[in-house]
Amino acid sequence: MQDRIEIAPAPARKRQFLSPHFVRNMLAGHSALGLAFAALIYIVCLTGTVSVFMFELQRWEQPDVPPVAQALSADAVGAVVRAGHAQALADKAAHDLFIMGPNPAAGLQRVFVNYHDHESGAEGSWLADANGQLVTRTHVPWTEFVTELHMSLHLPRTWGLFLVGLTGVALLSSLISGLLSHPRLFKDAFYLRWGGSRRLQDADLHNRLGVWGLPFHFVVTLSGALLGLSTLIVGVLALAAYDGDSGKAFSSILGPMPGADETAAPVPDVGAMVRQVQAAKPGATFTSVNIGHIGEAGQVVHLGMRTEGHLALANTYYFKGDGTPLGDGGLETGGIGQQILGVLQPLHFGWFGGYAVKIAYAVLGLALTIVTYTGVTIWLSRRRDKGRPAPRWERIWVGLGWGQPVALAVSAIVSLYLSEAAILYSYLAVSFVALLIAFLLPAAEVGSRLLRLACAAALTGLIIAHGVTWVARAADPMAWFVSAALAAVAIALVISALPRGAFATSAVAERS
Amino acid sequence: MDQIAAFATPLLTAAGLLLFLAGIGLLRLSWLGKRPRNLPFLIGGWLVIGAGFWAFFRAYDVEVGTAYALIAAAVIAYAVIVIGLEVRQPKVQRVREVALEPEERPSNLWRATAKALLSIVLAGIAAIGVGVAFAVAMPLETHDRIVVGGLLVPILWGGGMAWTLSDAKLLRATLLLLCISALGYGIAFLPKVFV
Repeated sequence: MQDRIEIAPAPARKRQFLSPHFVRNMLAGHSALGLAFAALIYIVCLTGTVSVFMFELQRWEQPDVPPVAQALSADAVGAVVRAGHAQALADKAAHDLFIMGPNPAAGLQRVFVNYHDHESGAEGSWLADANGQLVTRTHVPWTEFVTELHMSLHLPRTWGLFLVGLTGVALLSSLISGLLSHPRLFKDAFYLRWGGSRRLQDADLHNRLGVWGLPFHFVVTLSGALLGLSTLIVGVLALAAYDGDSGKAFSSILGPMPGADETAAPVPDVGAMVRQVQAAKPGATFTSVNIGHIGEAGQVVHLGMRTEGHLALANTYYFKGDGTPLGDGGLETGGIGQQILGVLQPLHFGWFGGYAVKIAYAVLGLALTIVTYTGVTIWLSRRRDKGRPAPRWERIWVGLGWGQPVALAVSAIVSLYLSEAAILYSYLAVSFVALLIAFLLPAAEVGSRLLRLACAAALTGLIIAHGVTWVARAADPMAWFVSAALAAVAIALVISALPRGAFATSAVAERS
Repeated sequence: MDQIAAFATPLLTAAGLLLFLAGIGLLRLSWLGKRPRNLPFLIGGWLVIGAGFWAFFRAYDVEVGTAYALIAAAVIAYAVIVIGLEVRQPKVQRVREVALEPEERPSNLWRATAKALLSIVLAGIAAIGVGVAFAVAMPLETHDRIVVGGLLVPILWGGGMAWTLSDAKLLRATLLLLCISALGYGIAFLPKVFV
């Protein structure tokens, strides 16, 4: 007779808020989505982090113009509009004129003048001084290259914006599924175990950076996705409610658009408009003006004026060409929809608290880039742990991840010597070569170290090349600040590329 | 008094930063301890963090203060985590299976294509339908309904993507998304058809 085996009842497991089955399903979806969009999300996050310093990079790239720290006076605004219009006429591009002035909240210390004729395609871009006089044409090809890569991946504009918007949706979805597949959210809240198992290290980094930075990541991703998808959404909205006229739909959100009357008319007195707003809102400062169909009877002025204490870059005030007010956008104190519209851009780019917020945005943006990178390395480590390693994919991912900073640094060097078209080609070529090198090397770790050293070398070359080019002509101290920051990044890369324990070994050697 | 007022913003900012540091530090102490002895640290930590938000609200008002406070709290939390870094010896070791693994699912080209179509195309169509229906039909000011409707699109699309990719039953997700799309576009376009 067989003895009866008594089995003690298992201790009752604590009921979890999210069931293991639900979490496993979410993890499967999170993993699939992350892998499918990883490369795109990584490139958009990395270039977005760089783009936070767009204005500083512009000053570094063209430092022979002194910064303009103070907001423009009403007279200076009037002068720069007249000067911009005269130059636009000379360049046969006088159709739409856009001027943006200094804004401490955004860290902007320049006066930009842009004009273009969308029919002929002619356009021009200048920098002006504090008195509103044009100084020189802007030449910031690398900054334009990086911001364009971030916004549309250098694809045809509509498709590029849509693809980046879709990437934003995928990232948003990953944030949601990542949160729902993390039942140990509070239990692991402060873990960062470094140097043991690679999978555990990457998982800790991925989860800690992702969870604590969640509010920032959510806001930046949501605003970016909305900006990217706005054309598509407004297109469908126009079909439903505006007889298919997207212009009319945009106008209902962004304010009055210029009329079709092409009869010649005087250039608007924007200085008087600035004074008019300041009379109603003492302390308001000029930030930008956009004049559609300038010099025609149908012209409309969108004047950006900022008052302190708001996240929005500025409120927009609308005027006819003859100075008749047409209301305002309510971006600072209007309804909830208007205020959301006003904060989308500053919240996405970190343009609301000067350099302190920009540095915090760089830290949090870099964190999101690392979260994306480690998302893939966790998957690769998991495969390795389960006896199904994917060494080719490990090397390819290293080539893509570390190849991007190298490609960006090399393209910046190219921008100093060659044409604008060469920047994109050099970026693509270096990206490909980095992938190839990483793929051909025996181990992913070797490729990772080599590419980090290559990036440090490229940054050093960039600092030297930039210094040689501008040392005698630089009038803007930002040139040296940015170069110093790049040097710090290069040093950090070299340190990170040293073998683990190198410092400890040398310290022991010194003691002995 | 004027001098105090001039220093109020930087003082309140500094106070907010210190309160966040103290609050997150208390949460970390609570995390290191065991229930129920750690409860005072847990409750105290959240209260101190709340006080940090209050300091930022006083310094910058709620609109700007919220943005500054959330950014500051995130960066300080990163710093606290880095300070608590646990360095381990580099060695190959088995990871304790404390974390759940993704569900292993049969995968083939047909299923992957169907999932991609569902999560990217159909979820997108449904999300845009709901967003546009909101923008057209909600009894709100023009800006409010259009902007909030627009914001709903990426949120719903992202949520729909997360759900369709995690749901193993393709038919259920397809039917539900089709129903949502029909409802959304119906609300958005039917008034136009009947006018």
